[in-house]
Amino acid sequence: MTPKDAALRLARRGQIVTILALVGLVGVYVRAIVYTPTEASQGLAQKIFYIHAPVAIMALGAFLVTGLLSLVYLWLKDLKIDRAAASSAEVGVVFSVIMLTTGPIWGKPIWGTWWSWDARLTFTLFLFLMFVSYLVMRGSVLDPEQRARFSAVFGILGLVLVPFIHLTVYMFRTLHPDPVVIKPSGPSMPAAMTQTFLLSIGVFVVLYVGYVMQRHALAHLEALHEEEALGDS
Amino acid sequence: MLLSAEGLARRFGYRSIFKNIGFSLNSGDALVLVGPNGAGKTTLLRVLAGLLRPSAGEVKRNVSVGLVSHNSMLYDALTAEENMRFAARLHGTVSNGRIETLLDRLGMLRWRDERVGTFSRGMTQRLAIARALLGSPKVLLLDEPLSGLDDPGTEVVREVIVEHMAGDGGLIVVTHQFERLSAVATHVGYLVGGGLQGPSTMDGLSADSVMQRYRSLLADG
Amino acid sequence: MASFMRVVTAIVAKDLLVEWRTKTAIVASLVFAILVLAILYFARDPTEVSSFAVAPGALWVTFTFAAMVGMNRAFFLERENRALDGMLLTDISRSAIFVGKMTANLLFVFMVELITIPLFVLFFNVSVLARLPALLLVVAMATLAFVAVGTLLSSMVVRTRFAELMLPVLLLPFLIPPIVGAVQITARLLHDRPLTEMMGWLKLLGSFDIAFVTLAILLYEVTLDE
Repeated sequence: MTPKDAALRLARRGQIVTILALVGLVGVYVRAIVYTPTEASQGLAQKIFYIHAPVAIMALGAFLVTGLLSLVYLWLKDLKIDRAAASSAEVGVVFSVIMLTTGPIWGKPIWGTWWSWDARLTFTLFLFLMFVSYLVMRGSVLDPEQRARFSAVFGILGLVLVPFIHLTVYMFRTLHPDPVVIKPSGPSMPAAMTQTFLLSIGVFVVLYVGYVMQRHALAHLEALHEEEALGDS
Repeated sequence: MLLSAEGLARRFGYRSIFKNIGFSLNSGDALVLVGPNGAGKTTLLRVLAGLLRPSAGEVKRNVSVGLVSHNSMLYDALTAEENMRFAARLHGTVSNGRIETLLDRLGMLRWRDERVGTFSRGMTQRLAIARALLGSPKVLLLDEPLSGLDDPGTEVVREVIVEHMAGDGGLIVVTHQFERLSAVATHVGYLVGGGLQGPSTMDGLSADSVMQRYRSLLADG
Repeated sequence: MASFMRVVTAIVAKDLLVEWRTKTAIVASLVFAILVLAILYFARDPTEVSSFAVAPGALWVTFTFAAMVGMNRAFFLERENRALDGMLLTDISRSAIFVGKMTANLLFVFMVELITIPLFVLFFNVSVLARLPALLLVVAMATLAFVAVGTLLSSMVVRTRFAELMLPVLLLPFLIPPIVGAVQITARLLHDRPLTEMMGWLKLLGSFDIAFVTLAILLYEVTLDE
């Protein structure tokens, strides 16, 4: 099987995984809207939580994957790993944006403002900005090997930065107590809600994997195309 | 053996700059590589010097190497002497006397307190050579060493080359003008079409025959 | 170890000498700092917000922006005539090159900061004399944080197409922990609170420094092509 065929096969499989995940997502939502009890104080708006929280978790997960793959790249020096790291970052950007838009949509009816500097929203905002910086930097470096090396350095720096950002936001927030926020936290949710929540996380993990598979395959095809166009005969 | 290259290749992204370059350099060898501009001569020297990693193959360096490129590697805001002092401090084992000697040898002593930014191309080139010689390298890599030099400058560089070879050194020069260096060459190679033809010794070869061969290789494409 | 220090001091001395000759980066950074500080003084509704309230933030925004303007200087200098190649050709430790460059940047930024602090006192009408040692400690710790990461990032960014724009974009996320911490500590110092009230933030700064200075030194070699 040629590399091109392998990439196309990966893309097809990624599409299947993605479609399965999207079907699963519809299922989760049917369950969330129809079968899961509505939270007393927040009403229907709370239902967005089943997208909002898992997508935030996945955004962070995507970032960690990018950071870890950066370390692996420095060890193995295989460009495939760099492409995988970048694919994870692109999917992570999208997930962060979803979280940052669903957050205010949820928040407005409940807090009365579109944006509150809630710890998790703020943290995800910074995550989003780091993803964007990573991708902007990649766009400005032409040589694939240099791009991989620079991305790896930035990825590792970002990985170490994440706990510091979390700590900073947390310490800042404890100075100024939140306005009264009614947000269901994990353990204190009734069983039905927890199940829906976990189901949603599972679906989003599969969605992440599906998207990354497709993006990675696409990146590989791009690389093969460049190699054909510019490479030695 | 001073330096050897085996299966050397370098790519930029997916474009190959050169590949399959191999040769060895012994004491007393002065290898002149002839090639057109854009053939990767500068990149090859940088790989041989250790500034770039080859995409394939390897370089074995058994001795210290000095490089003189068309970038001077000097600081325009500093004087000739300050540049030499800085380089000497990096090497760590260079005496003050050596700096003076080298500046004198390259005819730069009277400009020791002038800023490099005010120098002509020829003066910069000569200072760059003096700087390269600070570490007493056994192998000298020169990239178009005579370009932009006037006649006295060219003479100085030729003399320095001869002295270096007399000290059992090795030399690799890349140029597209073979005639000017034909006198010092012991070996010649042609960097054409992304590869290396040769090297072959200069025994029995004249400068003209070298240029003829070079032109015919270029025509072949 | 001796050769490491020799290389570091040689590079620092050379950088300072070049800066002394040209004076462009330091003057630009200083003018920039003074302008930013002044603008931040005016960028508020004076009936709503006292200058005292915005002072800590203003000081640190000024410091970081001035630092970003100045930090690219370190590696731009080496690109001029490929001087970095000259350093790489001698067999010196690559980490020594980085530490030399970072130290030169540190001294450069410190100089800008030390000149800016009296102006800060003047413009914002605050008193720092009583807590000067603590303030200088915070300045040192926070500056080390962003200069370490900034030097590493600038070594990469000078080789891309939009260096002056890329450095702030890449560096800003890494400024958040040190700047937030520095502002919180500076605010408390201006209120003359005891150091015990700032221990959390000081520890954040300290651990950030250790983590990122180490990381920056280790990662520099990766950014080179050899």
